[in-house]
Amino acid sequence: MRALLSFSLKTLRHRKAAFAGAFVSLFCAAALVSACGMLLETGLRGHVDPERYAGAPVVVAGDQYVHKTITKGNGKTKHKSKAISERAWIPESLTEEVAGVPGVRKAVAEVAFPVGTPDGEAAGHGWDSAVLTPFTLADGRAPRQAGEVVVDGGSALRTGDRLRALTPAGAAEYRVTGVTAQTVAGQDTLFFAPDEARRLAGRPGLVSAIGVFTAPGAEPDLAAALRGTRALAHTGADRGTAEFLDAEQARIKLISMGGALGGTSLIVAVLVVSGTFALSVQQRQREIALLRAVAATPRQLRRLLGGEALVIALAAGPAGAAAGFGVGFWLRSKFVELGTMPAHLPLVVSPFPAVAGLLATVLAAWAAARLAARRAARVRPVEAMGEAALPTARLPWPRLVAGAVATAGAVVLTLVLSGLSTEAAASPVTMLTALVWTIAVALLGPPLARAAAALAAIPLRASRVSGHLAAAGMRTGARRTAAVVTPLSLLIGLACTILFVPTTLGHAAEREAAAGTRADYVAGPRIPAGAAEALRGEPGVEAVTEVLHTEVRAGLTKLTARGVTAGKLARTTDLGVVSGSMAGFDAEAVAVSENAAGRLGVGVGDELALTLGDGTPAELTVAAVYSRGLGFGELTLAHDLVAGHVDDRLGTLLVAAPELTRAELAELLAGVPGAEVLDRAEAVAAEPENAAVNYVAMGLIIAFTAIAVVNTLAMSTADRVRELALLRLVGTTRRQVLRMLRLETLSALLLAGVLGTGIAYATLTAFAAGMTGTAVPHIPPAGYLALVAGVAALALAATALPGRVALRQHPAEAVAGRE
Amino acid sequence: MADTVQLEAVSKVYGKGQGAVAALREVSVAIPRCSFTAVMGPSGSGKSTFLHCAAGLDSPTSGTVRLGGTDLTRMNETKLTELRRQRIGFVFQAFNLIPSLTVLENITLPLRLSGTRTDKARLRDIVDRVGLTGRTDRRPAQLSGGQQQRVALARALATGPEVIFGDEPTGALDTMTAREVLNLLRETVDSLGQTVVMVTHDPVAASYADTVLYLADGRIVDETQDPTAEKVAERMTRLGAWK
Repeated sequence: MRALLSFSLKTLRHRKAAFAGAFVSLFCAAALVSACGMLLETGLRGHVDPERYAGAPVVVAGDQYVHKTITKGNGKTKHKSKAISERAWIPESLTEEVAGVPGVRKAVAEVAFPVGTPDGEAAGHGWDSAVLTPFTLADGRAPRQAGEVVVDGGSALRTGDRLRALTPAGAAEYRVTGVTAQTVAGQDTLFFAPDEARRLAGRPGLVSAIGVFTAPGAEPDLAAALRGTRALAHTGADRGTAEFLDAEQARIKLISMGGALGGTSLIVAVLVVSGTFALSVQQRQREIALLRAVAATPRQLRRLLGGEALVIALAAGPAGAAAGFGVGFWLRSKFVELGTMPAHLPLVVSPFPAVAGLLATVLAAWAAARLAARRAARVRPVEAMGEAALPTARLPWPRLVAGAVATAGAVVLTLVLSGLSTEAAASPVTMLTALVWTIAVALLGPPLARAAAALAAIPLRASRVSGHLAAAGMRTGARRTAAVVTPLSLLIGLACTILFVPTTLGHAAEREAAAGTRADYVAGPRIPAGAAEALRGEPGVEAVTEVLHTEVRAGLTKLTARGVTAGKLARTTDLGVVSGSMAGFDAEAVAVSENAAGRLGVGVGDELALTLGDGTPAELTVAAVYSRGLGFGELTLAHDLVAGHVDDRLGTLLVAAPELTRAELAELLAGVPGAEVLDRAEAVAAEPENAAVNYVAMGLIIAFTAIAVVNTLAMSTADRVRELALLRLVGTTRRQVLRMLRLETLSALLLAGVLGTGIAYATLTAFAAGMTGTAVPHIPPAGYLALVAGVAALALAATALPGRVALRQHPAEAVAGRE
Repeated sequence: MADTVQLEAVSKVYGKGQGAVAALREVSVAIPRCSFTAVMGPSGSGKSTFLHCAAGLDSPTSGTVRLGGTDLTRMNETKLTELRRQRIGFVFQAFNLIPSLTVLENITLPLRLSGTRTDKARLRDIVDRVGLTGRTDRRPAQLSGGQQQRVALARALATGPEVIFGDEPTGALDTMTAREVLNLLRETVDSLGQTVVMVTHDPVAASYADTVLYLADGRIVDETQDPTAEKVAERMTRLGAWK
């Protein structure tokens, strides 16, 4: 074994260039996997320290999860919980019960509501709950009546200033009576008089949390007091989860994203690295044959290649894992910038992701070496003899079988995907489908490349020297072409899939919204009910629909929902009702999109049990089923029903006012701070799609694949020094040789373009069929062309540079030089 | 005199059905110990196939190959490899050496892979004998073609094999260098008692052998004892090697 390892090391030292490709791929894989590991770990173990509730030892808050116990066939039960999307409020009456528990010194109820100020969004509370932080006054006095407010220490306002604020109750002007000494990070805080705060929050009898102060040394048991309610007690660092609900949601997102991203990069790594190793084995065919003839058993050869892989992995792994920390922090900063991750949720830094990255790298290298060794072990010892050692033309049957299995798997996945209608299910399957298709292409690469070479030869022969040579080179080098085509089609296929999933979805939603929007204007982002009501009375305004967005759950299934005011709804929105009717739509009713109705198994007249955003159960009757679920949400509820169960009850307005200009409408809403008016076209286009985060994360995988493409092409060209020199000796000019290389790359590119686009198109069509109901993906031509042009430029550069280097050597020397 | 290598009715057919080509037809031959045998024949006569089958690099379609009483045709690839590296030496036409290893490492490669301890004195003797003293730390790329063939010969000798097979060992060398390599081979037979089997198409190379076997159409058609270059060339002309 020692002999083998030292031999591995020597080979590596001797063939640095050939292994540089594998090193770079493994380095990138380690970096990506450990960065994803950091996201995943933050999702699993990350927590935020309490800030607002730092002063209260115990915080009682609503349960932020819906629970379901699933009984399996074998009698076992499984408990599942899913997060709800809004804060769960708890009865204020609990305050007294909690205060009565032995060991509790004091219980303080708190209400929280969003307040729009000229500086942005702030959190509003009653001054009575200031002690939970605790906030103390640096100046002035506490607010005592309706028009008074205390601002935090970070505010530019001073005692006596005036503040125009938009609360859930509407816009009003407040006088600053005091300034606190403290601030909490990442959030402006405003304190109102206790009764005023409860009025503004608009949830009589409910509070958002109860802070509990304990007697010295006491650890009161609140379980009995909280039994039968939806409230839970939080202590220590756990209080942060009760305070920062966005952090909880971000964690869940990080888990799914870290997992998907890490898994994808791992599969890509195995594909890329095994391609690099296979190419290196192919280039060393004669050396391997010699080893087999004079010394090495197939087993020793496998161990030899495994040793090489291990050495590279152990060199690339730790370096990559270390770089992964940098990538992790970079991803976090991007996610924070894009609003996916709250700034106060710190990244968990531990050795685990690095170890996972290292292990994944070693595993990927081992798997790749194992695959490459299969080929090496087939090299016959007699190939060491005689100059003309031709690679075996036929593909071994296990590979054909594996290729067939992968193709079948890809077909099955494509069919499954075409039946998936939720984004949560479809997103990971989409990536997997594209990857499995690529694996099939990689396995069946050589015959595909041969077939394509035969086709490409026809036009290539038109160019008498370079084209003829390129056609011949592709035909005989089918394996080499295949080695290049695999990463190229992976790159094109993955990039197309990643880029055009959001456009497909966005386009379908836009199309539905455009078709269904009857309103002339959309006003937002936060318009109070009073302003909407006032607008309805203005001349020229025909109809105003108030809209709120939220997410509800049916059982554990998450559904997007919109709350709308039903009066004159048809003047602003055409949901595309296919059965039932929106007439007489009230707080007892729900309208369901066709897609969701199919999934939930409900029709018009059926009862539908929902858990609203804040965890409140609601029994509703299905009044209508509509077709435009992508444009207008999976469920439509009454505005009155939704408003009482969301964190922010201020939403947008759809306004039908054909007689009014945009400026006139804006004038009517001038009293609402921050109000903006969009016309129909803008509003439809402005439908926000959270694609940016995906682009950032998946962009890394695209970059990784691009590096692999450059690697493979450079490796493949650099190996042909002798062949190119020979061509020069027999009278081919440098220009013709370079043109031949270019034509070969372009032919490979064409094949990869067809395969990659085919893979992406099949995947996207299935995705579109499942998600939008029409099997037509939306691929913007400009974006597609830019992508293909970019890949082509990359591939040509990666061929031309090593080609030029190879031609720099004097041809006679290059031909004479052995290996 | 005992025979080192014995072939009995060895046939090798490539391909199947209509496209089948018989490279060897019922070849039976015995190579005696301590002899130098050259195998000659025109292109396509089956020379290479003969060597592959005799050396355990390829298995015959029918017939048996024995090395010192061991039946090679019954062995699997691993056993064959172990047999090759312990009991057979090889000198190929070109690309005999692993470029990443030094001369000494190349020579000891079969020993190291079989886990055999190297006998230092014996190794020094072999290196002296092939004239590589003082060059053992070089890499193959730093050696001339003739020197590379000497390294290959030293590697073949290092394990003390029962037979050394050469596949056109002088094919890529100039006349002078070829003569040196052939003299070395002759010497290993005469002074070390080696058995050498060499495939060649060069009558001068063949003239260094004790016996020349002539192959044509997969059969051994003739043999010459104590050959001279002229005799061999004349015989080859009649076989139609040079038209």
